[in-house]
Amino acid sequence: MSPQPQAAVGAPLSRVDGVLKVTGKAEYAAEHDIDEVVHAVIVDASIGRGRITSIDSRAAEKHAGVVRVIHYGNAPKLPYRDNAGSNNPPGRRLRVFQDDKVLFHGQPVAVVVATTLEAAQHGASLVKVRYDAEKPSTDLTKAEPGEPTRYARGDAEAGLRSSAIRLDLTYELARNHHNPMEPHATVARWDGNRLTVWDKTQWVMGTHDEIAAVFGLPADAVRVINPFVGGGFGSGLRCWPHTIVAALAARVTRRPVKLVLSRKQMYFGTGFRPSYEYRLRLGSDRRGRLNAAIHDIDAETSSYETFNEAVMPAGQMLYSMPNVRQAYRTVPLDVNTPIWMRGPGFASASFVIESAMDELAHELGIDPIELRRRNEPSEDESTNEPFSTRRLSECYTVGAREFGWDRRNPKPRSTRDGDWLIGLGMAAGVYDPGRFPAQARARLDADGTAVVEAATSDMGPGTYTSQTQVAADALGLTMRTVTFRLGDSLYPPTSPHGGSATMASVGSAVVDACDQVRQQAIKLAVEDRESPLYGVNADDVVVRNGRLHVQGSPARGETYKSLLARNDRSHLEAKGSYNGPGSERSAYFAYNATFAEVAVDANLGLVRVRRMLGVYDAGRIISPKLAESQAFGGIVGGIGTALLEHTVTDHRDGRIANPGLADYLVPVNADVPDIKAIYLDGEDNAGNLLGVKGLGEVVQVGVAAAIGNAVFNATGRRVRQLPITAEALL
Amino acid sequence: MSSELPESAVPPPTGASESTSGPSRRTFVATGAAVGGAVVAGGAFFVGSGEATAAGVAPSSEVSLTVNGTRRTVTVDNRTSLLDLLREHLGLTGSKKGCNAGACGACTVLVDGQRVNSCLTLAVRLEGAEVTTIEGLAKGDELHPLQQAFIDEDAFQCGYCTPGQILSGVGCIQEGHTDSPEEIREWMSGNICRCGCYVKIVRAVEQTAGRK
Repeated sequence: MSPQPQAAVGAPLSRVDGVLKVTGKAEYAAEHDIDEVVHAVIVDASIGRGRITSIDSRAAEKHAGVVRVIHYGNAPKLPYRDNAGSNNPPGRRLRVFQDDKVLFHGQPVAVVVATTLEAAQHGASLVKVRYDAEKPSTDLTKAEPGEPTRYARGDAEAGLRSSAIRLDLTYELARNHHNPMEPHATVARWDGNRLTVWDKTQWVMGTHDEIAAVFGLPADAVRVINPFVGGGFGSGLRCWPHTIVAALAARVTRRPVKLVLSRKQMYFGTGFRPSYEYRLRLGSDRRGRLNAAIHDIDAETSSYETFNEAVMPAGQMLYSMPNVRQAYRTVPLDVNTPIWMRGPGFASASFVIESAMDELAHELGIDPIELRRRNEPSEDESTNEPFSTRRLSECYTVGAREFGWDRRNPKPRSTRDGDWLIGLGMAAGVYDPGRFPAQARARLDADGTAVVEAATSDMGPGTYTSQTQVAADALGLTMRTVTFRLGDSLYPPTSPHGGSATMASVGSAVVDACDQVRQQAIKLAVEDRESPLYGVNADDVVVRNGRLHVQGSPARGETYKSLLARNDRSHLEAKGSYNGPGSERSAYFAYNATFAEVAVDANLGLVRVRRMLGVYDAGRIISPKLAESQAFGGIVGGIGTALLEHTVTDHRDGRIANPGLADYLVPVNADVPDIKAIYLDGEDNAGNLLGVKGLGEVVQVGVAAAIGNAVFNATGRRVRQLPITAEALL
Repeated sequence: MSSELPESAVPPPTGASESTSGPSRRTFVATGAAVGGAVVAGGAFFVGSGEATAAGVAPSSEVSLTVNGTRRTVTVDNRTSLLDLLREHLGLTGSKKGCNAGACGACTVLVDGQRVNSCLTLAVRLEGAEVTTIEGLAKGDELHPLQQAFIDEDAFQCGYCTPGQILSGVGCIQEGHTDSPEEIREWMSGNICRCGCYVKIVRAVEQTAGRK
């Protein structure tokens, strides 16, 4: 078939849902107008481990407006069937109100349902829960790790021993919380034995399947709706206990129930990027050629589930070296279970590896970019597969030029601006973007407009817009005449909206569905004696602006509208699918080179980022304006990880000490300077129809290291703990 | 379908005759003894039935205020914040709850022309006040220039902080804190954007201020 002209894809368009969002009309999970809805507020465990000995709900029940108090003593027993294919990590998931055990501080122990939010909130404060408390184990460095996951090639111990230069570095990375601006929320309504849930989720099908499994319901009895997600960054990748609480409360009270987590509850009611202790031993020759690396990685998980993330691959494939050994251990603690957060695994590993590379460059007196170039691999040395595309070297070249890297003085603490010490740093980033099965449905109506549907999400990257672009070009329609719908489990199923997978996966399914519809129309035309296209080879027909015509002869053709009308067709419809990369055998990664300039107050240790640049090898860019926003967002997230973000646990009782946006610091406007993002032109067609690599994760990977390396260049101080605080620099 | 869910575990929500017995009683039967309002289950002691016996209403007050040009007289629970009044009672969910503690700015609205955190403002305090929310900023289909600038600059991603950012930006421009990007950054720092759109928010505010 003739390739469709690209009109929408690649154009710097504004968001199709922009007006809804700037007028307050976009409806997030808790904002749908549900008749007779009542409010639920969760009572959180105030101990870090132990069991409930008594619950006195009398005062709460007497409070005006309170409808019911539910806890394990009166809650219905729920089936909690296994849910294969879910994002639940291995283990036994938390079962709300099913027993007296408390596994972590903040675990839901009761829920108060009331006719008003105020009554539910006050009622929750009146429930008296007594416990038999034990001392929780919440300190990563003092607990017993689980069995390691290992990787090895060559002989890393011998390689390290024989290396002329050896570094032995231990890094500590703080726990980070996603803190999307929209708190997690659920509205649940039962109609007979059918359950409808409006839920903040990055995976409507995942939430759908989990609810069906927990309540023992048939799949078609559950519907999950979520047209707008107020940020996620990973926090919506699994169904959390509060969603079950809301559905349970609605079942018990026979009323639709709205349950919104407080900001505080977001720190234990949803997951987080786990803290790490990461020891890296690195050996090279005197010219900087890497010879060996030994990675000993410890990360926190919960006592009831074993959470893993991709913290190992970067150490296996980012640089060429013959000898690598890795041991990744998760450490079960009395905490709730972590979840993937933007750039999961890779972002944490990259801080370590890219800081260590900067340390090695300094030790050797080699420019950090030159050191990386000397260790550029020609294939993925962990699999011996060729890279589908790898243009990291080009990222360095473009970045160095655009950022003015040649102005960097390699001698630390040598550039001043008054009281401020100025430093430049850079780091490489890599991410393994997902390509997951997805389906989509396209329908072309007789009026020449189209609707395309998939049960995916849009947590902010602009799925609505970019999928409309893809569909418009594949159908040969304008943006205005295509509507893309998402966020409903009744639509064709997709995999999670995460892992930078949505465009490659859902986008490929959308292209497939739209291609089929277009082909149906073309076939109809070339076989229709009354069509100007009658008898034309179908492969020679393209569609542009809703008009089918012969490629190269725009005069000969007709519109979808006239074709469908004449043939008495109300619509054409097709279901498209994408089954993943299949037998594609190549190492498919997205890359970046990130550059930072910081100023550090010589007296106060205060770090201010002055400017940043990211250069990305992320395949084809479908929606440049939105892709730029994502890059800026990744850099801002990285500034947070580097300098501000740290969930602090009080190890005495397992309490989160800073569960709020006044105490858990995230970047504000004044923390964010001039940022520039450059995407290299190109495409990567490995296992996807669109030539994309996914970009939502890679934009955050390496940012923290680039900033840390700039801090070292500014001050001569190497801080191996995240976040890098003023205290560490005094 | 109902056979999927054990009858003894979860009662079907339909059937009015069930409304007073409820699941708690069923569970009590399932788990053991029920003595008055106290229950022993799994070694734990429960006081209270789980069911409310509440009577009366919470202390409330009548307040008259103007929201987006419309005079509203409402009776509100004295504990109700302006934000909850807007979202839960008036159906104006454009104002967002991000932290409910004045730390994120998602709830920013204009009260008598000043930008305030509506989550920290008790509704009963607002007798006679004029409140402007995001729903009241456009003139019909004509967007406020700052709303349009947010779209043009792509100054948002998920959109959840956006109403607060825009109202804060309107306030920032009215206050005249827009002489430089640095000044805008400082005076817009009460509004967190977790998607990280700050650079573009500053551009949108700067451009809109420049047009005035």
